[in-house]
Amino acid sequence: MNNSKDNLSGEESLQIIQEMIRSAKQEQKDNGMGWIVWGWMLFLASALTVINIHLNLVKTYFFWNTFGIATIVMLVLSTIRKNQKKISRVTTYTKEVFNKLNIGFTITLLVIIVAINVSIGPISGFALLTALYGFWVLIYGALFNFKPSIIASYFVWALALAGLFVQTFEWVMIFHGLAVLVGYIIPGHIAYNEFNKSVGRNTKSNIGV
Amino acid sequence: MFKELDPILHSQLRLAVMSLLISVKEAEFTFIKEKTNATAGNLSVQVQKLKDAGYIDVTKQFKDNYPLTTCKITKAGVNAFEDYVQVLQDYLKVSKKNA
Repeated sequence: MNNSKDNLSGEESLQIIQEMIRSAKQEQKDNGMGWIVWGWMLFLASALTVINIHLNLVKTYFFWNTFGIATIVMLVLSTIRKNQKKISRVTTYTKEVFNKLNIGFTITLLVIIVAINVSIGPISGFALLTALYGFWVLIYGALFNFKPSIIASYFVWALALAGLFVQTFEWVMIFHGLAVLVGYIIPGHIAYNEFNKSVGRNTKSNIGV
Repeated sequence: MFKELDPILHSQLRLAVMSLLISVKEAEFTFIKEKTNATAGNLSVQVQKLKDAGYIDVTKQFKDNYPLTTCKITKAGVNAFEDYVQVLQDYLKVSKKNA
Protein backbone atom coordinates (compact mmCIF):
# COMPACT_ATOMS: atom_id res chain seq x y z
CA MET A 1 0.00 0.00 0.00
CA ASN A 2 1.26 3.45 -0.79
CA ASN A 3 -0.13 6.79 0.14
CA SER A 4 -0.18 8.39 -3.28
CA LYS A 5 -3.93 8.07 -3.48
CA ASP A 6 -5.50 10.91 -1.51
CA ASN A 7 -8.59 11.40 -3.67
CA LEU A 8 -10.35 8.26 -2.49
CA SER A 9 -13.95 7.64 -3.46
CA GLY A 10 -16.48 6.91 -0.73
CA GLU A 11 -16.59 3.25 -1.76
CA GLU A 12 -12.80 2.96 -1.68
CA SER A 13 -12.66 4.49 1.80
CA LEU A 14 -15.32 2.11 3.01
CA GLN A 15 -13.49 -0.84 1.47
CA ILE A 16 -10.26 0.10 3.27
CA ILE A 17 -12.07 0.46 6.60
CA GLN A 18 -13.84 -2.88 6.20
CA GLU A 19 -10.69 -4.66 5.07
CA MET A 20 -8.61 -3.39 7.98
CA ILE A 21 -11.27 -4.01 10.60
CA ARG A 22 -11.69 -7.56 9.27
CA SER A 23 -7.94 -8.01 9.39
CA ALA A 24 -7.77 -6.75 12.99
CA LYS A 25 -10.70 -8.97 13.92
CA GLN A 26 -8.55 -11.97 13.08
CA GLU A 27 -6.43 -11.02 16.10
CA GLN A 28 -9.49 -11.30 18.34
CA LYS A 29 -9.72 -14.99 17.53
CA ASP A 30 -8.10 -17.81 19.39
CA ASN A 31 -6.71 -20.88 17.65
CA GLY A 32 -7.90 -23.22 20.41
CA MET A 33 -4.46 -24.82 20.84
CA GLY A 34 -4.43 -24.12 24.59
CA TRP A 35 -7.68 -26.02 25.03
CA ILE A 36 -6.44 -28.92 22.90
CA VAL A 37 -3.10 -29.30 24.72
CA TRP A 38 -4.45 -28.90 28.26
CA GLY A 39 -7.57 -30.87 27.38
CA TRP A 40 -5.69 -33.93 26.16
CA MET A 41 -3.24 -33.77 29.08
CA LEU A 42 -6.07 -33.64 31.63
CA PHE A 43 -8.06 -36.28 29.76
CA LEU A 44 -5.09 -38.64 29.63
CA ALA A 45 -4.40 -38.16 33.35
CA SER A 46 -8.06 -38.95 34.15
CA ALA A 47 -8.32 -41.92 31.76
CA LEU A 48 -5.01 -43.47 32.85
CA THR A 49 -5.98 -43.06 36.51
CA VAL A 50 -9.23 -44.95 35.87
CA ILE A 51 -7.35 -47.72 34.06
CA ASN A 52 -4.79 -47.83 36.86
CA ILE A 53 -7.51 -48.18 39.50
CA HIS A 54 -8.45 -51.47 37.80
CA LEU A 55 -5.00 -52.74 36.91
CA ASN A 56 -3.18 -51.37 39.96
CA LEU A 57 0.08 -50.84 38.08
CA VAL A 58 1.33 -47.75 39.91
CA LYS A 59 0.24 -45.59 42.86
CA THR A 60 -3.26 -44.04 42.51
CA TYR A 61 -2.05 -40.46 42.00
CA PHE A 62 0.97 -41.34 39.83
CA PHE A 63 -0.56 -39.89 36.66
CA TRP A 64 -1.64 -36.68 38.43
CA ASN A 65 1.84 -36.23 39.84
CA THR A 66 3.24 -36.79 36.34
CA PHE A 67 0.73 -34.24 35.03
CA GLY A 68 1.92 -31.75 37.64
CA ILE A 69 5.58 -32.19 36.60
CA ALA A 70 4.65 -31.96 32.90
CA THR A 71 2.76 -28.73 33.64
CA ILE A 72 5.79 -27.14 35.31
CA VAL A 73 8.07 -28.20 32.41
CA MET A 74 5.58 -26.82 29.87
CA LEU A 75 5.25 -23.51 31.69
CA VAL A 76 9.04 -23.09 31.80
CA LEU A 77 9.40 -24.00 28.11
CA SER A 78 6.59 -21.69 27.00
CA THR A 79 8.12 -18.80 28.98
CA ILE A 80 11.50 -19.38 27.31
CA ARG A 81 9.88 -19.64 23.85
CA LYS A 82 7.86 -16.47 24.39
CA ASN A 83 11.02 -14.55 25.24
CA GLN A 84 12.96 -15.93 22.26
CA LYS A 85 10.28 -15.52 19.62
CA LYS A 86 10.27 -12.17 17.86
CA ILE A 87 6.84 -11.82 16.34
CA SER A 88 4.78 -8.82 15.35
CA ARG A 89 2.42 -8.16 18.19
CA VAL A 90 -0.88 -6.54 18.84
CA THR A 91 -2.86 -6.14 22.03
CA THR A 92 -6.60 -6.52 21.74
CA TYR A 93 -9.06 -5.62 24.49
CA THR A 94 -10.46 -9.17 24.46
CA LYS A 95 -7.09 -10.85 24.92
CA GLU A 96 -6.10 -8.38 27.62
CA VAL A 97 -9.24 -9.14 29.67
CA PHE A 98 -8.75 -12.87 29.00
CA ASN A 99 -5.16 -12.78 30.27
CA LYS A 100 -6.19 -10.91 33.42
CA LEU A 101 -8.98 -13.38 34.13
CA ASN A 102 -6.52 -16.20 33.49
CA ILE A 103 -4.57 -15.06 36.55
CA GLY A 104 -7.75 -15.33 38.65
CA PHE A 105 -8.47 -18.77 37.21
CA THR A 106 -4.96 -20.02 37.98
CA ILE A 107 -5.02 -18.71 41.56
CA THR A 108 -8.43 -20.33 42.24
CA LEU A 109 -7.18 -23.55 40.66
CA LEU A 110 -4.15 -23.58 42.97
CA VAL A 111 -6.35 -22.90 46.03
CA ILE A 112 -8.53 -25.91 45.15
CA ILE A 113 -5.45 -28.10 44.56
CA VAL A 114 -4.16 -27.13 48.02
CA ALA A 115 -7.61 -27.83 49.47
CA ILE A 116 -7.60 -31.30 47.86
CA ASN A 117 -4.32 -32.05 49.59
CA VAL A 118 -5.04 -30.56 53.02
CA SER A 119 -8.76 -30.70 53.68
CA ILE A 120 -11.56 -31.55 51.28
CA GLY A 121 -9.95 -34.58 49.63
CA PRO A 122 -9.85 -35.61 45.97
CA ILE A 123 -13.48 -36.68 45.47
CA SER A 124 -15.11 -33.32 46.27
CA GLY A 125 -11.97 -31.51 45.14
CA PHE A 126 -12.06 -32.74 41.55
CA ALA A 127 -15.77 -31.92 41.35
CA LEU A 128 -14.96 -28.34 42.42
CA LEU A 129 -12.11 -28.20 39.91
CA THR A 130 -14.56 -29.29 37.22
CA ALA A 131 -16.98 -26.52 38.25
CA LEU A 132 -14.13 -24.03 37.90
CA TYR A 133 -13.39 -25.38 34.41
CA GLY A 134 -17.04 -24.72 33.54
CA PHE A 135 -16.69 -21.10 34.60
CA TRP A 136 -13.50 -20.67 32.60
CA VAL A 137 -15.05 -22.29 29.52
CA LEU A 138 -18.02 -19.90 29.77
CA ILE A 139 -15.74 -16.86 30.13
CA TYR A 140 -13.81 -17.92 27.03
CA GLY A 141 -17.01 -18.53 25.07
CA ALA A 142 -18.47 -15.18 26.09
CA LEU A 143 -15.30 -13.16 25.43
CA PHE A 144 -14.59 -14.69 22.04
CA ASN A 145 -18.27 -15.04 21.14
CA PHE A 146 -17.70 -18.76 20.67
CA LYS A 147 -20.94 -20.71 21.03
CA PRO A 148 -19.49 -24.25 21.36
CA SER A 149 -17.74 -23.19 24.59
CA ILE A 150 -20.82 -21.42 25.95
CA ILE A 151 -22.93 -24.55 25.42
CA ALA A 152 -20.16 -26.84 26.71
CA SER A 153 -19.86 -24.89 29.97
CA TYR A 154 -23.34 -26.03 31.06
CA PHE A 155 -22.45 -29.68 30.40
CA VAL A 156 -19.25 -29.22 32.39
CA TRP A 157 -21.19 -27.78 35.34
CA ALA A 158 -23.69 -30.67 35.16
CA LEU A 159 -20.78 -33.12 35.35
CA ALA A 160 -19.26 -31.17 38.24
CA LEU A 161 -22.55 -31.33 40.13
CA ALA A 162 -22.89 -35.05 39.41
CA GLY A 163 -19.32 -35.50 40.66
CA LEU A 164 -20.36 -34.22 44.09
CA PHE A 165 -22.77 -37.12 44.51
CA VAL A 166 -20.48 -40.00 43.64
CA GLN A 167 -18.63 -41.95 46.29
CA THR A 168 -15.64 -43.38 44.48
CA PHE A 169 -12.55 -41.72 43.02
CA GLU A 170 -12.98 -43.79 39.86
CA TRP A 171 -16.33 -42.12 39.06
CA VAL A 172 -14.96 -38.70 39.87
CA MET A 173 -12.19 -39.36 37.34
CA ILE A 174 -14.72 -40.53 34.75
CA PHE A 175 -16.80 -37.35 35.21
CA HIS A 176 -13.65 -35.21 35.20
CA GLY A 177 -12.43 -36.83 31.98
CA LEU A 178 -15.84 -36.38 30.34
CA ALA A 179 -15.98 -32.73 31.43
CA VAL A 180 -12.56 -32.10 29.89
CA LEU A 181 -13.60 -33.85 26.70
CA VAL A 182 -16.80 -31.80 26.39
CA GLY A 183 -15.47 -28.50 27.70
CA TYR A 184 -11.88 -28.41 26.47
CA ILE A 185 -11.12 -30.92 23.72
CA ILE A 186 -14.20 -30.73 21.49
CA PRO A 187 -14.55 -26.88 21.54
CA GLY A 188 -10.76 -26.64 21.22
CA HIS A 189 -10.75 -28.63 17.99
CA ILE A 190 -13.74 -26.66 16.66
CA ALA A 191 -11.93 -23.38 17.46
CA TYR A 192 -8.75 -24.70 15.81
CA ASN A 193 -10.60 -25.60 12.59
CA GLU A 194 -12.50 -22.31 12.50
CA PHE A 195 -9.30 -20.34 13.11
CA ASN A 196 -7.49 -22.09 10.27
CA LYS A 197 -10.42 -21.54 7.92
CA SER A 198 -10.55 -17.82 8.77
CA VAL A 199 -6.77 -17.50 8.30
CA GLY A 200 -7.18 -19.03 4.85
CA ARG A 201 -9.99 -16.63 4.00
CA ASN A 202 -8.01 -13.68 5.29
CA THR A 203 -4.92 -14.63 3.27
CA LYS A 204 -7.02 -14.93 0.11
CA SER A 205 -8.75 -11.58 0.66
CA ASN A 206 -5.58 -9.73 1.68
CA ILE A 207 -4.89 -8.15 -1.66
CA GLY A 208 -3.06 -5.13 -0.28
CA VAL A 209 -5.91 -2.64 -0.10
CA MET B 1 -24.18 20.31 1.84
CA PHE B 2 -21.67 17.73 3.03
CA LYS B 3 -19.21 18.23 5.79
CA GLU B 4 -15.74 17.91 4.35
CA LEU B 5 -13.94 14.63 4.94
CA ASP B 6 -11.02 14.99 7.34
CA PRO B 7 -7.97 15.36 5.04
CA ILE B 8 -5.73 13.65 7.60
CA LEU B 9 -7.87 10.52 7.44
CA HIS B 10 -8.85 10.76 3.80
CA SER B 11 -5.73 9.09 2.54
CA GLN B 12 -5.26 5.42 1.74
CA LEU B 13 -2.56 4.43 4.20
CA ARG B 14 -3.51 6.74 7.08
CA LEU B 15 -7.11 5.54 6.88
CA ALA B 16 -5.92 1.93 6.92
CA VAL B 17 -3.74 2.57 9.99
CA MET B 18 -6.61 4.24 11.84
CA SER B 19 -9.04 1.46 10.88
CA LEU B 20 -6.62 -1.09 12.30
CA LEU B 21 -5.98 0.82 15.50
CA ILE B 22 -9.67 1.51 16.16
CA SER B 23 -10.20 -2.25 16.56
CA VAL B 24 -7.33 -3.02 18.94
CA LYS B 25 -5.88 -1.60 22.14
CA GLU B 26 -2.41 -1.05 20.70
CA ALA B 27 -0.29 -2.46 17.92
CA GLU B 28 3.39 -2.69 17.13
CA PHE B 29 4.71 -0.93 14.05
CA THR B 30 5.66 -4.28 12.49
CA PHE B 31 2.09 -5.52 12.89
CA ILE B 32 0.69 -2.45 11.12
CA LYS B 33 3.29 -2.77 8.39
CA GLU B 34 2.38 -6.43 7.89
CA LYS B 35 -1.36 -5.75 7.73
CA THR B 36 -1.18 -2.75 5.43
CA ASN B 37 1.57 -4.10 3.14
CA ALA B 38 3.19 -0.67 3.33
CA THR B 39 6.92 0.04 3.22
CA ALA B 40 8.55 0.95 6.53
CA GLY B 41 9.57 4.40 5.28
CA ASN B 42 6.17 5.34 3.96
CA LEU B 43 4.44 3.99 7.04
CA SER B 44 6.77 5.97 9.33
CA VAL B 45 5.89 9.21 7.54
CA GLN B 46 2.14 8.56 7.74
CA VAL B 47 2.31 7.45 11.37
CA GLN B 48 4.15 10.68 12.18
CA LYS B 49 1.38 12.71 10.46
CA LEU B 50 -1.28 10.93 12.50
CA LYS B 51 0.76 11.54 15.63
CA ASP B 52 1.16 15.25 14.81
CA ALA B 53 -2.61 15.49 14.36
CA GLY B 54 -3.02 14.01 17.85
CA TYR B 55 -4.89 10.97 16.49
CA ILE B 56 -2.45 8.36 17.72
CA ASP B 57 0.13 7.94 20.47
CA VAL B 58 3.47 6.49 19.45
CA THR B 59 5.72 4.89 22.05
CA LYS B 60 9.30 4.05 21.16
CA GLN B 61 11.33 1.73 23.34
CA PHE B 62 13.90 -1.04 23.12
CA LYS B 63 13.24 -4.74 23.69
CA ASP B 64 16.18 -7.18 23.60
CA ASN B 65 18.25 -4.50 21.81
CA TYR B 66 15.61 -4.15 19.07
CA PRO B 67 13.64 -0.93 18.63
CA LEU B 68 10.00 -1.43 19.46
CA THR B 69 7.45 1.11 18.27
CA THR B 70 3.91 0.82 19.53
CA CYS B 71 0.93 2.80 18.25
CA LYS B 72 -2.30 3.46 20.05
CA ILE B 73 -5.34 5.47 18.97
CA THR B 74 -6.18 8.49 21.14
CA LYS B 75 -9.60 9.80 22.19
CA ALA B 76 -9.25 12.56 19.58
CA GLY B 77 -8.42 9.85 17.03
CA VAL B 78 -11.53 7.86 17.91
CA ASN B 79 -13.70 10.99 17.58
CA ALA B 80 -12.12 11.94 14.26
CA PHE B 81 -12.59 8.41 12.93
CA GLU B 82 -16.24 8.34 14.01
CA ASP B 83 -16.86 11.73 12.38
CA TYR B 84 -15.15 10.53 9.20
CA VAL B 85 -17.34 7.41 9.03
CA GLN B 86 -20.45 9.50 9.68
CA VAL B 87 -19.67 11.90 6.83
CA LEU B 88 -18.83 8.94 4.60
CA GLN B 89 -22.15 7.29 5.40
CA ASP B 90 -24.07 10.51 4.58
CA TYR B 91 -22.17 10.80 1.34
CA LEU B 92 -22.86 7.18 0.36
CA LYS B 93 -26.56 7.50 1.25
CA VAL B 94 -26.99 10.48 -1.06
CA SER B 95 -24.93 8.79 -3.81
CA LYS B 96 -27.26 5.76 -3.59
CA LYS B 97 -30.36 7.96 -3.79
CA ASN B 98 -29.04 9.80 -6.83
CA ALA B 99 -28.06 6.59 -8.61
